[in-house]
Amino acid sequence: MSGPSLDDFVDMPDEVDDETAERLAEQAVETQDMTGEVCPYPQVEAKKAIQRLDSGDLLLQETDHVPSTENVPRAVGDAVDARVWRSGDGLYRIFLRKR
Amino acid sequence: MVSNALVAVVVGLGLGVFLQKGRFCFVHAFRDLFAFKDTRVTKAVLVATTLTMLFWSVAYALGYYREFWTPGWGLTGLVGGFVFGVGMTYAGGCASGTLYRAGQGYLHFWLTLLFMGVGYVAFTVAFPTLEPAYFEPLTFGAGASLFALSPIPAPALALLVAAGVVLVYATIVGRAREPRGDRPHGRAAKLTLAAALAPVAGLRSLARGTKAYLRGFAEIDDWKAASRRPWDPRTAALGITALAVLWFTQVSIVGVTGPEARWTGYLLQQVGVDAGSFEYWGSVLFQGEGIGITVDMLMIASVIVGAFLAAVWSGDFSVRVPKRRRVPNAVVGGFLMGAGSRLAPGCNIGNVYSGLAELSIHSFVATIGIVAGVYATTHWIYREVGCAI
Repeated sequence: MSGPSLDDFVDMPDEVDDETAERLAEQAVETQDMTGEVCPYPQVEAKKAIQRLDSGDLLLQETDHVPSTENVPRAVGDAVDARVWRSGDGLYRIFLRKR
Repeated sequence: MVSNALVAVVVGLGLGVFLQKGRFCFVHAFRDLFAFKDTRVTKAVLVATTLTMLFWSVAYALGYYREFWTPGWGLTGLVGGFVFGVGMTYAGGCASGTLYRAGQGYLHFWLTLLFMGVGYVAFTVAFPTLEPAYFEPLTFGAGASLFALSPIPAPALALLVAAGVVLVYATIVGRAREPRGDRPHGRAAKLTLAAALAPVAGLRSLARGTKAYLRGFAEIDDWKAASRRPWDPRTAALGITALAVLWFTQVSIVGVTGPEARWTGYLLQQVGVDAGSFEYWGSVLFQGEGIGITVDMLMIASVIVGAFLAAVWSGDFSVRVPKRRRVPNAVVGGFLMGAGSRLAPGCNIGNVYSGLAELSIHSFVATIGIVAGVYATTHWIYREVGCAI
């Protein structure tokens, strides 16, 4: 993930498979339940949590809001490596590891 | 009439699919620009609006069109637009975003739709008072499309505007790409040169981006899998443009909240309210032709169905129950959108998309109002973490 740039249109975080998602979920230092939320609250909560966490810590957001999978990684920007898992039935996990 | 109904269903379903697959969200377009300078969706909106303007200008010049939508201009656009902008940012979805997310299974946005309906009803009841107390003093002139006023042919005007948009965009991109940290010595000369070259650098990057976009299609080997993944917002912009051109040649410009306000009157009529006796429904919205289902009402209902189909196909459909603390967002945001869209008049689609594309004077004013509303609300929601712009 690079910071917001004026000339990209698409900047989707890398997707992970089911197994990796399970493994990463166990490493999460903090889990935010964002199901039933809409923008921009998940972005704001992710930014606040990342400011609190230490370098190397993993933040997990569980969400059912489709745009969050792109918006949340963009909102935290350069400070984070982001990955996303899609369940296929409207549930998503966003993994944000603070650099 | 049958053919128009068919066009309405095709355009509605198509818009639903493109809005859902392209995550075409007007709140995102402005909110995320202000909050963290994310411009992907902003640019997609710009692409859709500019292309639609070009094609509509040609259709207009050739006479293949039905009507423009040009309400009188004045401060109503600023006031109503601001209320609408606050509402859409607080609700988390604009008029079109609410529709396609309702199709995706969000109860939050069904509730938003319901309270937009409440907003339409409140406005309709207040209309006899608002007409002399609000619209008459705040409307300064008759509405018009610059295409109709311009001494030069509409397509030439559209090309000039599009060239202006591209040049401004290229300059902004070019400036952003400039390396920082020049030595103070000779900086002024360098800056002037860089400023002059900025549009060139920007145009080059625009050409590269377009090439990379087209190459992307050649690289798709599994179209079925690709169609299930989120689509590039530019693809959505192109699809929406094609449908808007079809709609313009057959029916009108694309609007959302006007038809929704008619739906509210129609549905109330079904449960025994004499909607036709209210001045706003009877003589303004249904234009004295009686309360019934018009083609644009059919079109926006089809948007929900199209978004539903696209969401099921992509694995994005599920019935989503909102968190209790989000209910005020849907209720208050929906109401403000409903009321604001009538006070302006027009929503993000009628004004920011269709209105700018038809170069309507009213829509320039209303767009400023809507964007100002989004700006103020974004700063309020982000008060703890701060905004980029």
